[in-house]
Amino acid sequence: MNLLLLIPILLPLAGGICSISLKPLAKEKARTAFVLTMLIASACSLLPVLLNPELSLKLFTLSDSLPVVLKNDPVGKFFAVLIAVVWTLAGAYSFEYMAHEGHLNRFYCFYLCTMGVLFALCFSATIITYYMFYEMMSLMSVPLVMHTMKKDAVAAGVKFLIYSVVGASLVLLGIFLISPYVSGFAFSSEGVLNYTVINGHETRVLIACLLMLVGFGTKAGMFPLHGWLPTAHPAAPSPASAVLSGIITKTGVLGVIRVVFFFIGAGFIRGTWVQYTFICLTLFTVLMGSLLAFREKVLKKRLAYSSVSQVSYVLFGIATLTPFGLIGAFLHIIAHSLIKDTLFMSAGAIIEKTGKTKVFELRGIGKQMPIVMWCFTLTSVGLIGIPPCLGFVSKWYLAQGALDMNSISTVFNYLGPAILLISALLTAGYLLPISIKGFFPGTSNSENESSGENEFPNCEPTYVMLVPMIILTALSILIGMFPGQIIGFISNFMIGR
Amino acid sequence: MLLPILSFGPMLMAIISFIVGRYSKKTRNILVISTTVAAFVGCLFLWPINTTFTIKDFCGVGLSMGVDGFRSLYALIASFMWMMTALFSPEYFAHYHNRNRYYFFYLMTLGATLGVFLSDDLFTTLIFFEIMSLTSYTWVAHEENPRAMKAAGTYLTVAVIGGMTTLMGLFMLYNELGTLSFAGLSAVLKEGNPSTTIVVAAWLTLFGFAAKAGLFPLHIWLPQAHPVAPAPASALLSGILTKSGVFGLLVVTTRIIPANKGFANALLVFAVITMFTGALLALFSVDLKRTLACSSMSQIGFITVGISFMMLLDEEGSLAAYGSILHMVNHSLIKLCLFMCAGVVYMNLHKLNLNDIKGFGRNKPVLHIAFLLGALSIGCIPPIGSGYNSKSLIHEGILEYIELLKESGQGYGIYKFIEILFLISGGLTIAYMTKLYICLFFDKAKETTTHGNRKYINVLSSAAILTSAVILPALGLLGKALMTPLAERSMSFLNLEILEHEIHYFSTENLIGAAESIAIGLLIYILIVRPLMTRKTEEGLVYLDLWPSWLDFEKIVYTNKFVMTAVPTVITALVRFIGELPETIVYTLKKTVFKKLSHKKAIPVGNRFTYGFGLFLNSIASGINKASRGRTHLRTDNEFVLAAVSKELINGTNLIGRSVSFGLLLLCAGLYATCIYLLFFR
Repeated sequence: MNLLLLIPILLPLAGGICSISLKPLAKEKARTAFVLTMLIASACSLLPVLLNPELSLKLFTLSDSLPVVLKNDPVGKFFAVLIAVVWTLAGAYSFEYMAHEGHLNRFYCFYLCTMGVLFALCFSATIITYYMFYEMMSLMSVPLVMHTMKKDAVAAGVKFLIYSVVGASLVLLGIFLISPYVSGFAFSSEGVLNYTVINGHETRVLIACLLMLVGFGTKAGMFPLHGWLPTAHPAAPSPASAVLSGIITKTGVLGVIRVVFFFIGAGFIRGTWVQYTFICLTLFTVLMGSLLAFREKVLKKRLAYSSVSQVSYVLFGIATLTPFGLIGAFLHIIAHSLIKDTLFMSAGAIIEKTGKTKVFELRGIGKQMPIVMWCFTLTSVGLIGIPPCLGFVSKWYLAQGALDMNSISTVFNYLGPAILLISALLTAGYLLPISIKGFFPGTSNSENESSGENEFPNCEPTYVMLVPMIILTALSILIGMFPGQIIGFISNFMIGR
Repeated sequence: MLLPILSFGPMLMAIISFIVGRYSKKTRNILVISTTVAAFVGCLFLWPINTTFTIKDFCGVGLSMGVDGFRSLYALIASFMWMMTALFSPEYFAHYHNRNRYYFFYLMTLGATLGVFLSDDLFTTLIFFEIMSLTSYTWVAHEENPRAMKAAGTYLTVAVIGGMTTLMGLFMLYNELGTLSFAGLSAVLKEGNPSTTIVVAAWLTLFGFAAKAGLFPLHIWLPQAHPVAPAPASALLSGILTKSGVFGLLVVTTRIIPANKGFANALLVFAVITMFTGALLALFSVDLKRTLACSSMSQIGFITVGISFMMLLDEEGSLAAYGSILHMVNHSLIKLCLFMCAGVVYMNLHKLNLNDIKGFGRNKPVLHIAFLLGALSIGCIPPIGSGYNSKSLIHEGILEYIELLKESGQGYGIYKFIEILFLISGGLTIAYMTKLYICLFFDKAKETTTHGNRKYINVLSSAAILTSAVILPALGLLGKALMTPLAERSMSFLNLEILEHEIHYFSTENLIGAAESIAIGLLIYILIVRPLMTRKTEEGLVYLDLWPSWLDFEKIVYTNKFVMTAVPTVITALVRFIGELPETIVYTLKKTVFKKLSHKKAIPVGNRFTYGFGLFLNSIASGINKASRGRTHLRTDNEFVLAAVSKELINGTNLIGRSVSFGLLLLCAGLYATCIYLLFFR
């Protein structure tokens, strides 16, 4: 039974290797069918893992005290489902977008392999296992970023790699520092600190903790190591930037959750300078990302800065260490994944069909591709946090969490919600004008009717591109309206930490 | 079950009619009209009901809708207004583009507005309120010309900022009290001294609603949005969307901080300013719809004055509350009628400037009757004007409070002053309505304006206009039979008692007040408007454009160049500087430590400081460029310049450092230091 855990990990890996090595798959139709089947099969193979309450599998041991263990706990299941949905839909979207690019077998090889590694990441049961798969994922996703092999893409890929490695090594340093004070490396719900040994060495443990937070924060785009996001996104092909922003950044978040709640324990961090530093970093990132996005002219770069800001909402929710904050964080993980994917897919559709990348070129785009822009508008409204979309619900819980926090001064309690709302305002400022210019191009100066018709030729993409976007948009609104089930699920395993 | 159908049904119908409209315009029009009629009938069914409905966990907290006397009244008025404008729309929009889009958002907003008025907790109110703000944006932007886009931009900005601020207030309230339901709030927050958190939360919550109501200083969207929106949409914007703001105002004032004197006085200041300046601006305007828009602002001021006195009077506030509620109802119906009249003018002439449209109404009885009834109502002329009834009640409320202060021996001068302003504002109302009325129906028409015998309105539209106009004198004449019951059924929503004694609308006191206002109004018209704001030429009377555009509040305060460009630029530059510091370090390392030994081009490479500071200067420079709108051209790349300077400096210091004289200099300095040490410290 426990071997079931391996299927969703090995299946996409095998598929990835097949797609680059088998000759018949070089043809477009065969490859598309194969990749789609593999994506759906891998997503389906998750089902037995999800339905079984407790599975645990020890793969091998690195040394006598460092086992590599997989386990399907609720947090892992949560992320795995999210990854399965988004990864599959982004994959389906990519068939049309990537059609004109070369080296597709290579792209899909790494695309599928990354999916397998991500599942492994979700089900990792020790910090060492997590670290191992985390590094593996960084390596696997670099080819996705530098796919076009243009100069800027390669540079972006290298930058992405360097940032990932620096972040991961900070995590490793943290693990080294903290290793004398733990009773084991397996995640447990109370944390694994050995308090008898720690007595008198709290500062050291806290420093190690901060190092790990900043290290995992790198992937989540948290200041000070957020620099890779705005470079990697515009260079990567759109399906890749969609999953990069929607999923890969969330692995950093998962790392932070694992460290805070399952490795060190929330009780140890609560009320220490580490918590306040973490809150300050996340809030600064929220503000910085929004401000920079507000001033950015390139659409994909603007969305990248927006990701910097939005993922830090999630980190802020975690940093409050309150039940409400956590619920908000988890909801915002879903919200941001679904929404930012749709936004990047829209940006990709625009680039693919019209070649426009700058924001000010997008006048009348809503007339040209109405369905794409409707998805864009609805999801941006969700990202701003206007009810009844999911972004609103998550923001509600995040704010409640922040106000609930027991902190040194009430300033901290009100600072969080205030910054969230200012950032929401900026979000409106950098997303809504695109929709407005797109749908209300204004009357053209020439009153000529015939030229007026040709001004905005229809260039809607085919349903291959549209259907994933529509599904994601609908999900983001429906989950926003009826989040009861999910909130129940989250509070079940998170309340009381 | 009726409640969610009323709010979500129109939204569903919006989607259906949008799809239908792509194939058949006629079917779509019928569908839209029947939807609004169905909504009206549905609201009629709500009239006797007192019920609630909840969807658990909707948006996390839960949707809860409820209906009582006041809410059913306002839902009914909202659906009535939608029905009338829907009847008027087919003719008005006959030559417009994008009708499908308009009708889609028209029905969406209907659902959202009904949702606001049928909500049973502030969370639900906010959800529908935000949907309403966003969907009504498209009305303002409908014409897509630069003026409309600017007005729509202002509208959206005010709406989003207002919504976010209200959300912050709700965060705090919910965190403090654990409930947002109307009943729960009144149960938890009794009168007395509320904590600071509650007061702050109340102000924040009020902010968004006040912005929608058009209260000074958040009124800026109102005079811009109304003139550019299509007439049926401006009727709804002015008649009902502003009332959703007032609805929120009522919730805040009666539930969150009931009868708080300090709050009431502060609110009163804003209300009086809104009331007076709105009327004054309306007098200066020479644009038909802008006059009506400013008038809306002024009337909202009247209503808010009533609400403030309701709070001040506390338990005796029923009279002021009657007045406020009835004035809300009146204003909705009046503005429906007047904006549709303006719509008739616009759809025939496509002009709104008084000089272009003067004399249009001659020999047009339908338009004449409708406009006259509306004008009499808003001017509060007894006995036909329905506005008279409600405004007198507010006036009585003010007098009552003054009496109360007299009895207890407190100073009441300021309230006396407010009463005078109240009467003057009433006078101004009469003056600007007389101006419009005489201009439209008595001044000699220009040749271009004469309309011949062409039909200017079809049956459907005239039915809509006349129906909405005829209600007004009915309300005015039958105050006791019609208006008092409307007010009485609203009192439970405001947590106030129903008055036991009967209300005498036509008492001597009220009639004197009205007469004073009328006298002031006519004097203003004869002494100020006629001689100062018009000029006689060969073409007849010309209305001078005295609109004080240099006094544009928005330009002076909100889009002030310094505030709106310099401050964000500096903040962004600072944040960017900090945010890109790590990047800068990497960049510097790349350019220094990992620098290639031989480089062909001698591009000066700075260090960390020059790069960072250069970036900072660059962003300031670009900020200055933007602020001055192309008058200055600071194009120098400061980063470059700084790098060059620093390189020169480094080279220079190296040279100096290697020279013999520098060594000698250092030697001397060392000797001096040794001497000083020996002399003073040993």
